[in-house]
Amino acid sequence: MRDTRGRFELPGPAVWALRLAVLVALIAGWQAASGTLLPVFYISSPAKVLEVLQRWLADGSIWKHVWATVLVLFSGYAIGAAIGIAAGLWLGLNPRTERLLQPFIAALFGLPKMALLPLLVIVFGIGFASKVVLVASVVVFLLLFATLSGVRDIDRDMVESLRLMGATEGELTRKVRMPAILPWVYTGLRTSIGYALTTTVVSEALQSNRGLGFLIEHAAVSFNAAGVFAAVVVLLVLSMAIMLPLGALEARMRPVRL
Amino acid sequence: MHMSGQTAFTGAAKTGPTLISLKDVVVDFATRDRVVRAVDGISLDMPEGGFTALVGPSGCGKSTVLNMVAGLLKPSAGSVTFEGRPVDGPNTRVGYMTQKDTLLPWRTVEDNVGIAFELRCRRSERGDKAARVAEMIERVGLKGFEKHFPSELSGGMRKRAALARMLIYKPSTLLLDEPFGALDAQLRLIMQKELLELVDASGMTVVLVTHDLEEAVSLADKVVVFTSRPGRIRAVRDIPIPRPRDPATLRFTDAFRDHCAALWDELRDEVAAAMATPHA
Repeated sequence: MRDTRGRFELPGPAVWALRLAVLVALIAGWQAASGTLLPVFYISSPAKVLEVLQRWLADGSIWKHVWATVLVLFSGYAIGAAIGIAAGLWLGLNPRTERLLQPFIAALFGLPKMALLPLLVIVFGIGFASKVVLVASVVVFLLLFATLSGVRDIDRDMVESLRLMGATEGELTRKVRMPAILPWVYTGLRTSIGYALTTTVVSEALQSNRGLGFLIEHAAVSFNAAGVFAAVVVLLVLSMAIMLPLGALEARMRPVRL
Repeated sequence: MHMSGQTAFTGAAKTGPTLISLKDVVVDFATRDRVVRAVDGISLDMPEGGFTALVGPSGCGKSTVLNMVAGLLKPSAGSVTFEGRPVDGPNTRVGYMTQKDTLLPWRTVEDNVGIAFELRCRRSERGDKAARVAEMIERVGLKGFEKHFPSELSGGMRKRAALARMLIYKPSTLLLDEPFGALDAQLRLIMQKELLELVDASGMTVVLVTHDLEEAVSLADKVVVFTSRPGRIRAVRDIPIPRPRDPATLRFTDAFRDHCAALWDELRDEVAAAMATPHA
């Protein structure tokens, strides 16, 4: 099959078949190298990892950790995004306040949030709340900046023309500003989910007794390489389960902007 | 201001009470390194129910005048009054069609045209709103494009959609900034006729900005010629051609040609001056 420039291009199913082949080759190489090129102690082996995964699924112990991670991730993400969008919209509509607060926001944004975790643990305890606040603190800035850029990009004439029709400030926000910033907010939501997941997992590894981050850390300190890899595989599946629908949603939303 | 028209014609040169009044209006714009005077001492009265056309070379401050009447811009000096009161903030009594179309890109044509009915100030209006939207879309010749997005329309079609969006809520005053600029010559004549019919039927006050002298003469009952920047009023001419007018046939009459010739005499120097000035 050839593309529009006449270059040869593989059909879709063939691409997928090749991808599968790459995956199989990687796993086979791993299995072959394990115990021959590198000690099993360090790299484990696909067979051992599969064994661990089967055990976790059989006794159901994995779900407690998946659920803990998902709960922290989405709670923090939702709270951070809601606050970030609202703050971005508010600052965008009040440029004087925005100018006043700008250095503070920049300073807080630049701060590595992970450094706040010990403090948050003191305030909110070692459980759920401290990690949710941490994830939210990462997401909030990304959405704030995305929304702010969106508000700055709003066509002034579009707003004015509706204002002359008699639209109230609330109506202008609902009918012009919010739809206009939607693509920006969407980009913010998509980029920040990755940061949210990273923050969740690392904070679980640092201070927790459950979650996939805890599982990785716990396996590592027990020198259980198979457990580390198994937890990473679960994490991989989870992140794909979150990212793929987002990509599909974006593809559907794009024609609206043009 | 002088009356150059003949009073023998009837139905033209409307003399209602003054609706819009500009008095010694000056507008300065601050650019990066200097202050540019866009409008330099304009005084102009526009009567209720009148059709005034502002013509002049580009950059002469015609659009600036519309922005002031709409309340989107405050004069640096002088006063702008509407219905006897100073314009202070967005003037919701006017329908304003800017040169740039401001359709909402995420709404279809019909949703754009009908947006006025979604606003609280008009929600209680009676009648079949969907039917009014459909009728207005047909009137501007966009039937069949109701479900299209603005990005799927040509520039001229977007202009017509914007016109429909403004006309549908029947504002008593229309501010039109080059409304037909993007249309081809034939369609322009049709749209001009549609506009005249609507305006004549409803008694709307219209302020039209155009650089097309023939358009100004065929539509307006008063043509104001602006100088090149800084904008001043060079001449005001009444066009006492009786209504209803048909822009398509009007241009073959002697009266029309005489008015155009007289106005062109005024405009010619200004266009030359504007071309001689850089950044005009």
